[in-house]
Amino acid sequence: MALLQISEPGQTTAPHQHKLAIGIDLGTTNSLVASLRSGLAETIADENGQHLLPSVVQFQGKNETGYQTEVGYAAQQNASNDPMNTIASVKRYMGRGLDDIKKHSIYDFVIEEDSVVPRIRTVAGNVSAVEVSSEILKALKQRSEEALGGDLTGAVITVPAYFDDAQRQATKDAAKLAGLNVLRLINEPTAAAVAYGLDTGSEGIHVIYDLGGGTFDISILKLTKGIFEVLSTAGDSALGGDDLDHIITDWILDEAEINEPAPSLLRQILDVARQAKETLSEQTSCKLSVDLGEGKYWDSELSQQQFEKLIKPLIRKTLVPCRRALRDAGIENDEVQDVVMVGGSTRVPLVRQMVGEFFSTEPLIELDPDKVVAIGAARQADVLVGNKSDEDMLLLDVTPLSLGLETMGGLAEKVIHRNTTIPVARAQDFTTFKDGQTAMAIHVVQGERELISDCRSLARFELRGIPPMVAGAARIRVTFQIDADGLLSVSAREETSGVESSIQVKPSYGLSDGEIETMLKDSFSYAQDDIDARNLREKQVEASRVIEALNAAMDEDGEKLLSQEEQTQIRQAIDELAEISKGSDQRAIKLKIEAVDKVTAEFAQRRMDASINKALAGQSVDDID
Amino acid sequence: MSNNLNNSAADNYFSLLGLSINFDVDKTKLTENYHEIQKSIHPDKFANASDLDRRLSVQKAAQINDALETLKNPIKRSIYLLSLYGIELGENDMSVDPAFLMEQMELRENLSEVNNTDDPLEELSNILDDVNARIKQSIGNLSQLFMKLLSDNESDDNAPLLKEAKEQVLKMQFLNRLQEECMNKEEDLADQL
Repeated sequence: MALLQISEPGQTTAPHQHKLAIGIDLGTTNSLVASLRSGLAETIADENGQHLLPSVVQFQGKNETGYQTEVGYAAQQNASNDPMNTIASVKRYMGRGLDDIKKHSIYDFVIEEDSVVPRIRTVAGNVSAVEVSSEILKALKQRSEEALGGDLTGAVITVPAYFDDAQRQATKDAAKLAGLNVLRLINEPTAAAVAYGLDTGSEGIHVIYDLGGGTFDISILKLTKGIFEVLSTAGDSALGGDDLDHIITDWILDEAEINEPAPSLLRQILDVARQAKETLSEQTSCKLSVDLGEGKYWDSELSQQQFEKLIKPLIRKTLVPCRRALRDAGIENDEVQDVVMVGGSTRVPLVRQMVGEFFSTEPLIELDPDKVVAIGAARQADVLVGNKSDEDMLLLDVTPLSLGLETMGGLAEKVIHRNTTIPVARAQDFTTFKDGQTAMAIHVVQGERELISDCRSLARFELRGIPPMVAGAARIRVTFQIDADGLLSVSAREETSGVESSIQVKPSYGLSDGEIETMLKDSFSYAQDDIDARNLREKQVEASRVIEALNAAMDEDGEKLLSQEEQTQIRQAIDELAEISKGSDQRAIKLKIEAVDKVTAEFAQRRMDASINKALAGQSVDDID
Repeated sequence: MSNNLNNSAADNYFSLLGLSINFDVDKTKLTENYHEIQKSIHPDKFANASDLDRRLSVQKAAQINDALETLKNPIKRSIYLLSLYGIELGENDMSVDPAFLMEQMELRENLSEVNNTDDPLEELSNILDDVNARIKQSIGNLSQLFMKLLSDNESDDNAPLLKEAKEQVLKMQFLNRLQEECMNKEEDLADQL
């Protein structure tokens, strides 16, 4: 019989305590939060029983405690009255420069001095897309803390699969600003697949067609025994239900002969257009009415037939990425087992019809297309915090866009190709162009085209101190690494001299670390004292995580993989770290953690190799020598 | 001159994924082993671990992903096998026999004239079938060559076989690029419909 365990006084008593984790679908039109409760993943409702949170933020002013805002339905209702301070569809502006976002936007964008990030002018001051998004995230965080009754261990946040590095980084920054611990960014279609796959347990090839408010993704996945392997992904990060609204809006403006509408009128017509789209998804015609002011109205009707004629070119546009994703995956139409529809815009019957025809299969719509992404994210969050509800589940995702460097003549040299499984690290060698060249400008780009000017510029940095040599003699190795969040870091090294330079890629349109720090300070929830306390707390948590993990590792593998001497050395380092982390010197803790890392690096490496051998030993392996 | 197979490296991609060094790869076993390893070292399994473990797991998972991609693809696998014999393919290596190059030029010419035919998609599909058949034959040849090379590892003079294998790989690269262009064209044509 197993003996019951009793912990030492003062130590944590519940090692397998259920940790609180959430999944957030930060959408263009609506956002949702979900969590796993009693084994069931469910979206969390607000106090009025509403699950959706409209992704709308109204800025009402700013005082010493921070922005005064309304988020969600209340903000949405004020949109027509206060259009310039009420920000909708902010996801479209994440990680984007001014040129990208001016089109179709009613907001007043400015670029402040010392920043590259466009900001929207509001009564509360200028706000970036990251700050607007963080208001939405804060609302969802608060909602889930109230519903779950405790502090959150972490959150999984979903992003469109086709989001580039800048857009992903911006999303992570918004979460940081909202005080969320991001466990992982995962792709929306992959999250949807998790929600569907676990419910139906179906193995094989699945297509996820995800047409949201502002983005379109197509992902092709292979499901084998709990492993979700993304084979390819494609899409358009600026195409979605919003565009359907814009088409109807343009049609109304045309029919009503309105030129250059005022922002409030345009906002009103956009609302009418959105309602018409929703009505026409269920009925064959829809009455339209626009209040032109001064007691004048424009009244008309839009038939479903007319509506479909208007939007058909847009839906057809989504089939181009579908074709490319199939090709990249090396999959024929008839190998596809089913097509899962995700995103509110897939409620439009024409979308279902055209996608069904393209893949020759009836699309799956069992799960609520609005909720399915958040539910999948919640499941993944639960696995990542170690609640072990789906122990064998593993997501293997890909990078959506090729990454490369600028070479002579303004050409892009690809280093990592699109649809490569992440994490990935790849190196490529370059050389100097001129005799005696001592520095090299490194320009990182993302995209499929050959010319630099057609790709998205991600970052620029310089490698200096190359010893002077004749042209072509230096060997500069540039290494790209994409982590499991899909975020890129790049380093460069001159191989003959060992001169090194590396950056965490900070996107060209991204907020700098300094800007984020300032925002954190400006935000009322983090006064300077709070920030210090928070940093210390973070370091202590990190230290205890290191200690806990090392103790477990030593118990399991110490005898097997280490000499007596090595064991003593590591035990001693652990004890020292435990002692220092009781204090309040966060810098000392940080340094000690680094020292422990150094002492244990070899052990960690051996453990990793041992676990690979163990994984293979379980297989019917042929002769490994 | 002899090039000996460098199979002493314990961390070559084949052994890393639990396979013996060979051109022919058991795809099912490759995938199964890959999945099992990722289940044990993927960064998702270290979401709560120390920074060090997380960093290591990203590196290891990246290495395993690279190994899989190399072994899955016949060209990459061949290039990798050659590299184990100490043979590197140059950037602009064109040492392929002239007759083959002539054939390639002809195929390319046909491809560029596809748009002028009555049924471009049909014509294109004929060319693509032709290219695919050649690729398949190339893979067959490589399989034979590497089988000879690997079964006869002690031989003093494997240089001719290696030279032949290298030329075969170069040919495959040509064919692959052509296949790619055919598929790009097919995509363009389909989008115009």
